[in-house]
Amino acid sequence: MTALRALLVSESRVLLRDRTTFFFTFAFPLIFVLIFGFVMGGFGNVSRSTMGLFVSSDADRPTLDETLDAAASMALEEYSSLEEMQEAVTDRRIDFALHWDGASLRFLYDANRVQENFAFAQVAAGLSSDFNLRRQGAASAVSVEPIPVGEIASAGWFQLVLPGILAFGILSSGLFAVSGHLTAMKERKVLDRLIVTPMPPLALLVAIAAVRLAVAYVSTLITLFVGMGVFGLRYDVDWIRFAVLVACATVGTMGIGTIIALVVRRPSSASNVANALAIVMMFLAGIYFPVEFMPSFLRAISAGLPLTHLANAMRYATGVMDMAEAEFWAITAAFVGIAALLFPILARYVVRPLRQ
Amino acid sequence: MVEPVLLRVIDLVKHYGDVHAINGISFDVPSASVFTLLGPNGAGKTTTLEILEGIRESDSGEIEVFGIRLRRVTRAVKERMGVLLQDGGFEPYLKVREIMRLFASFFESPMPIDHVLSQVALSDKAGALVRTLSGGQKQRLAVGAALINDPELIFLDEPTTGLDPQARRNMWSIVDALRAAGKTIVLTTHYMEEAEALSDRVCIMDHGVIIAQGAPRELTQDFGEETMIEFRGDELSADALEKLRACCVDLRADGATVTLETEDLPATMESLFDWSRSQGVRLQNLIVRQPNLEDVFLSLTGRRLRE
Amino acid sequence: MKDVLLIALTHVTTAIRERVTLFWFLVFPVFMLVVLSIIFGQIGQEGEIRFDIALIDQDRAAPAARDFSPMIVEVFRELATPQLPGQEPLFALHEPPDGEDPEGFVEREVTALRRGRRAAVVVIPAGFGDAVLRAISAPMGEEPEPARLAVYMSRTDTASQMASEIVAQVLSEIDREILIRSGRFDPSREIATETVWLGRSDAETRYIDFLLPGVILMGFFANGLFGVPGAILFNRDRRILRRYWVTPMSVPRFLAGFSLGHLALCGLQFALLFLLGRYGFGATISFAAPIPFLTLALAAVTFLSFGFLIASLARTANAGMAVANVLNMPMMFLSGMFFPIVGLPSFLLAVVYVNPVSYLVSGLRASVGVESGPFSPALLVGVPLGWIALSMLVAARRLKWDVER
Repeated sequence: MTALRALLVSESRVLLRDRTTFFFTFAFPLIFVLIFGFVMGGFGNVSRSTMGLFVSSDADRPTLDETLDAAASMALEEYSSLEEMQEAVTDRRIDFALHWDGASLRFLYDANRVQENFAFAQVAAGLSSDFNLRRQGAASAVSVEPIPVGEIASAGWFQLVLPGILAFGILSSGLFAVSGHLTAMKERKVLDRLIVTPMPPLALLVAIAAVRLAVAYVSTLITLFVGMGVFGLRYDVDWIRFAVLVACATVGTMGIGTIIALVVRRPSSASNVANALAIVMMFLAGIYFPVEFMPSFLRAISAGLPLTHLANAMRYATGVMDMAEAEFWAITAAFVGIAALLFPILARYVVRPLRQ
Repeated sequence: MVEPVLLRVIDLVKHYGDVHAINGISFDVPSASVFTLLGPNGAGKTTTLEILEGIRESDSGEIEVFGIRLRRVTRAVKERMGVLLQDGGFEPYLKVREIMRLFASFFESPMPIDHVLSQVALSDKAGALVRTLSGGQKQRLAVGAALINDPELIFLDEPTTGLDPQARRNMWSIVDALRAAGKTIVLTTHYMEEAEALSDRVCIMDHGVIIAQGAPRELTQDFGEETMIEFRGDELSADALEKLRACCVDLRADGATVTLETEDLPATMESLFDWSRSQGVRLQNLIVRQPNLEDVFLSLTGRRLRE
Repeated sequence: MKDVLLIALTHVTTAIRERVTLFWFLVFPVFMLVVLSIIFGQIGQEGEIRFDIALIDQDRAAPAARDFSPMIVEVFRELATPQLPGQEPLFALHEPPDGEDPEGFVEREVTALRRGRRAAVVVIPAGFGDAVLRAISAPMGEEPEPARLAVYMSRTDTASQMASEIVAQVLSEIDREILIRSGRFDPSREIATETVWLGRSDAETRYIDFLLPGVILMGFFANGLFGVPGAILFNRDRRILRRYWVTPMSVPRFLAGFSLGHLALCGLQFALLFLLGRYGFGATISFAAPIPFLTLALAAVTFLSFGFLIASLARTANAGMAVANVLNMPMMFLSGMFFPIVGLPSFLLAVVYVNPVSYLVSGLRASVGVESGPFSPALLVGVPLGWIALSMLVAARRLKWDVER
């Protein structure tokens, strides 16, 4: 027991003194959240767009005005010349523009706003059909009534992204605890010096896991609260599920890190491989954009990634997304299972001499 | 016939804050000879060499090299110099030949690469990546890089530190070959045997000053007509040692070895045998030898060369 | 001259042989190019996006003349069938199996919606047909209530939002069809809608054309941010540089060779990414003109000097890499490289305006005609030049070429 205690102390010290690791474990997810929160805040939301208007014909003016007044999510700016309006579009002072010449509705777009024009075009299509209907005095026969589900008042896509970032933080922490920290100890022969003592290898692993776990809790909580404080996101956290998930995922991702350490020959390469894998997973796990956007083969890959399931479970635990109870526990069990399977193997790896 | 002096150091001084790394040293290095700076770690040998190599500036003093008097080493001088650094690296992902080609390009008239590679016995490793080389091979590569411009003056800073005995002997034979070819070599080391084996002149440094200079034989002779007797002393009791001290005054005992200095060998040997008989001590690993540079250093400073 | 060229060659050779460097400066930009264009290139375009939609017709028993719901179901089924072989349909449709209780189905599907397994649940309510009939029989001038289709969706989920908007669009076209057939809408009097693209050509800019300059710049950026300080600091710490300084090789010559090597690496990156972009993804932009070429060169030099700046500020290689890692994300994302900068708070906007990447990205895109961004030409060149000057000034004073003893 004292060996374990001593190791806990030394592992904690190592983490706290290594300012680089310390920074990355705590500050990095925070920076991520802040940047993505602000930059992506507008993504996916059809927030208020600004349309320019230039009318060169008085035909149907009242109908046009009626249509434009009824358009809720849009701000209007009228122009006195077509050239001025075109310039405003290309200078991005307005999002798109409408030129009514009495015969057709000509919508002008900046060809280069590739990621946003889709949304503007939808607004335009709505205006078009509304205008046409009003002009002929017809009223819609069918329409859609959106019924939002979900208990939490939404604050947009970023509310779903944040738990994904938390999941990613846990993943990289666990991965690098083994394929980074432990492999570095092996490479620098620190492990060799420890092994010749009576210390049981499993004690070292438990110490590392315990420290990482503490870090995971602190880091995820800080990030969560920053997200709530800075962006006003609201979460309905089930603390028990949250606590269990963080614990299981931390040891589970350490298990995944073990696989990398075993497969990659040179310890120093292990952290690079882990880094690459983490980044690939980050993109394909549906954290930053919906899985629906991916072609089917990527979607299939995504479904197989541990990070995808961890992110979903985290979303469930923070109350932004629903999940079958059984599925949640299956995911946590899977992570624990990976850990249980691989920790003994990892213990042997610790003891095994460095292969030259 | 007086041999021309290739390198002359005049009153070189270098300090770091309050510490005097070199406190006014002067020496001459005759051409076509091996000149060794010998001293313990921290004596100022490497600092001296770095100033002569042009990667450190002295605070005062002058250098006369190739007949030109300078404050600092210039590019023209570097063209005719070869340097083996005490600690230096090579790009791990370059091949031996590529390294040689790179260094060759730094000089105006380099030697053919294959010739230098065979000089340092690395011809069969020409296509190997640096990271696959052993410590000794890397050191030989470094020597090769130092010789690529066929220099007249060569600096070797601690050339055999960290090498295994075989590699060390290889390095010694390279140095001998260079001297035989008429090169002038300035060597630093803290290994006494190396200084004795290779040098024409030895300059003993300690704490930034020169405490003795001369050919190895001269230095040990200056030390007197004394002979040294050594035997294994790890199992002696303090009492027995005191008895020995009573009859043989000049006695040194560290934990492993007992060393006696004497000007009258037969008398001291007799006392020694008497003592061993009376104390019941077996004289193990008994040798009689000439004084060496270690002894010189010890007598001058009271400390060993190697701590 | 030969020594300078060999230093450059050394830089390139080492980068290619060292697997880690190779990954970050070649493999990673390629990966980003591939992933981002596959994923984001799909928005608004046919072909790859597919939404899981549940659909139930609770008005199936409606008598004839009120049977509008089968038409709607038919439309959705049509959208769930691939139009061309190999192409993905827009919807994956989930309908209740025969005999299933409709309430149970809706409950099940809404639960699936909550769990992210469905993008939307469309319910055609009972009495839908009646409501449609009422709407199209009302006297002209009156504004009858339209028949409403219930669409369950999740506001937090972008996919769900998009799906419900698409469903709304589909309904809008069905609406038009119904109105035409019932004579309430005269298509011959319909006002046409035209789409006008303002820009380089008359067509909408392709996503790959928008993305490619950004990814190329990202490659250059990684090169300068990580590769330059990494090489210098690593070589200095390992005393590889010191071996050079005892020979006639001097710092200025070394710098010249190193910079040349860096530019060669940037050229390699550019070639690879451009070829992939053009022949793999059909990019149409061309860099074969003075201004794009000069912008690329400006970017490469800016990042090179930025790398010197970082090397000056860090004492060891590890510290340098840490600094680079800290700067990487903010500089890349707060620059408009991947996402448009909309609605940022002022302290982040400040970063955008100080960040040289913002100007280089905007400038490069403008030079190949896919951007008409907010920066004036003076700023596009001036800010990077300013950074180059600042970096070189700091580096000249602070960059150590040998380890301290």
